[in-house]
Amino acid sequence: MADPSSLLVVLNQPFMQRALLGGLITGTLGGLLGSFAVLRQLSFFSDALGHSALLGISLGILLGVNPTLVLIPFAVLFALLVNQLVARSGLPADALLNIVYSTSLSLAVVTLSLVETYRGGIQQLLFGDILGISWSDLTVIAVLLLGALTYLAFSLRAQVLLTLDSDLAEAFGVGASQHRLAFIVLLALVVAVSIKAVGVLLISAFVVIPACGGRLVSRHFPQYALISACLGGGCALLGLLGSGLFNLPSGPCVVIVQFAGFLLALTISQMTNHFPATAVPAESQIPNADQDALEYH
Amino acid sequence: MTNSDPVLLVEGLSVRRGERLAVEQVSFQLARETDTALVGPNGAGKSSLVGAVLGLLPRAAGRVQILGHTLGPAGELPRAVRSQIAYLPQSLALQGRFPLTVSEFVGHGFDLPGLSLAWLGSRRRSEAVQHAVQRTGCHDLAEFRLSALSSGQLKRVLLAFCVVRPRQLLVLDEAQTGLDAPSSERFQELLLELCRQEGWTVLQVSHDLEMVRRSCDQVLCLNQRLRYSGAPNHVLSAARLVELYGPSVVPYRHHHAEAIAVDGIHG
Repeated sequence: MADPSSLLVVLNQPFMQRALLGGLITGTLGGLLGSFAVLRQLSFFSDALGHSALLGISLGILLGVNPTLVLIPFAVLFALLVNQLVARSGLPADALLNIVYSTSLSLAVVTLSLVETYRGGIQQLLFGDILGISWSDLTVIAVLLLGALTYLAFSLRAQVLLTLDSDLAEAFGVGASQHRLAFIVLLALVVAVSIKAVGVLLISAFVVIPACGGRLVSRHFPQYALISACLGGGCALLGLLGSGLFNLPSGPCVVIVQFAGFLLALTISQMTNHFPATAVPAESQIPNADQDALEYH
Repeated sequence: MTNSDPVLLVEGLSVRRGERLAVEQVSFQLARETDTALVGPNGAGKSSLVGAVLGLLPRAAGRVQILGHTLGPAGELPRAVRSQIAYLPQSLALQGRFPLTVSEFVGHGFDLPGLSLAWLGSRRRSEAVQHAVQRTGCHDLAEFRLSALSSGQLKRVLLAFCVVRPRQLLVLDEAQTGLDAPSSERFQELLLELCRQEGWTVLQVSHDLEMVRRSCDQVLCLNQRLRYSGAPNHVLSAARLVELYGPSVVPYRHHHAEAIAVDGIHG
């Protein structure tokens, strides 16, 4: 069991400070993007992308290039490929994603088996190693958070209407295909940069769990996005502290704390659901100024 | 554009869905402040036609002009024209606990197309939302989630979404689907009331032929091609409906007018 003084020692280490800052930003990003992705039913997309990213990393290792540099363009290409496949094949997106990610994962394992020196590092890829995060990594994710916040804030109307009904959105002037593509690319970038923190196996949790927790306790859309982002960031921070303190893998620690956050949100929602104010009046109870005029004659 | 110019002009419109032409060489126009119904059997191309008119589907041929502006090949219209169009789908993809309240949703109907921070709110916006929910009888629902509403309530909210800003053209794609008879009747009455107040020009896809006969100024009978068009009482004769829908249509006598049953369910 670690004592509090060892926590202070750990917190004084620059690598730990970078890790905590990185975790906070990637967690916030995951929660923010996840709040939209879950409603758009893109949860499986982030999972598939995470697994497929292993191929990008493996290619980087095989070619002797920094895997992070390969990962970002790989994730964007993956997003564009899936988008085209869904649009052109007419097959269900989940089936196509399954095909692409199983193939990518198989190719990645074969590629990694060719690289003798990297076999030991596979656990970091699978479960994350945020302690290795650099200042340049931090700069990339901070810029990404700023870009995502700006884009989502300015396109909130488009994102909400697209989630409700694509035709409704387009009829009211939303460029559906452009926004759909922009969001998928953004999500791919977020998944790519978050892999360092949580690893390829747990990446979808980073996107899905905070968003589901936020949804349980939110009534308004901006409130939902904000709570999801805060849950994502806060849980990442706590999970990483626990990881540093007890010398445990970072990704699983973050996900366990996220799950605790989800349970807390579930408890709060169960308690508030019992208040009468949350019950919608029945159709016949709705006072209607024009009611008399509208009745059958 | 003058008052006598049509709000919607469609010339030689063809729409391809996969291998086949779903709509072929259809031409019609909607005069200002008229209510036009688009009827026809399932698979007749009604939704394809509506989709192409709104710019949601590509056209194989033909021209669409809305408020004097020609619709571009990929559905492009000037922002000012697009903001004059409202559309009511059959339903919305609402999952449980969808975190969006009625007033937030209606507020997005007030905002103009394009990137903006209008959702942060303004006094004018919140007044417009409040007025819209009052007029559609949704004021008690304003702070409830959309996903908690019944079908009838949701249709009223969709009307509030349309009425929150002045518009000229309203397109409804089987908007009364999922409503029971009294709710459908109330929805139609509310729609007519709002049309009178707002001066909307309406194009509505409907299977309710009795409602079409009673409320609409013009009816377009579609089955890939435009088979008949004109005033409902003139066009919706029993013989023409049997020709349009097939022998499953059973004309019968109502107490005040000839009425029609399609597939055993009268309109």
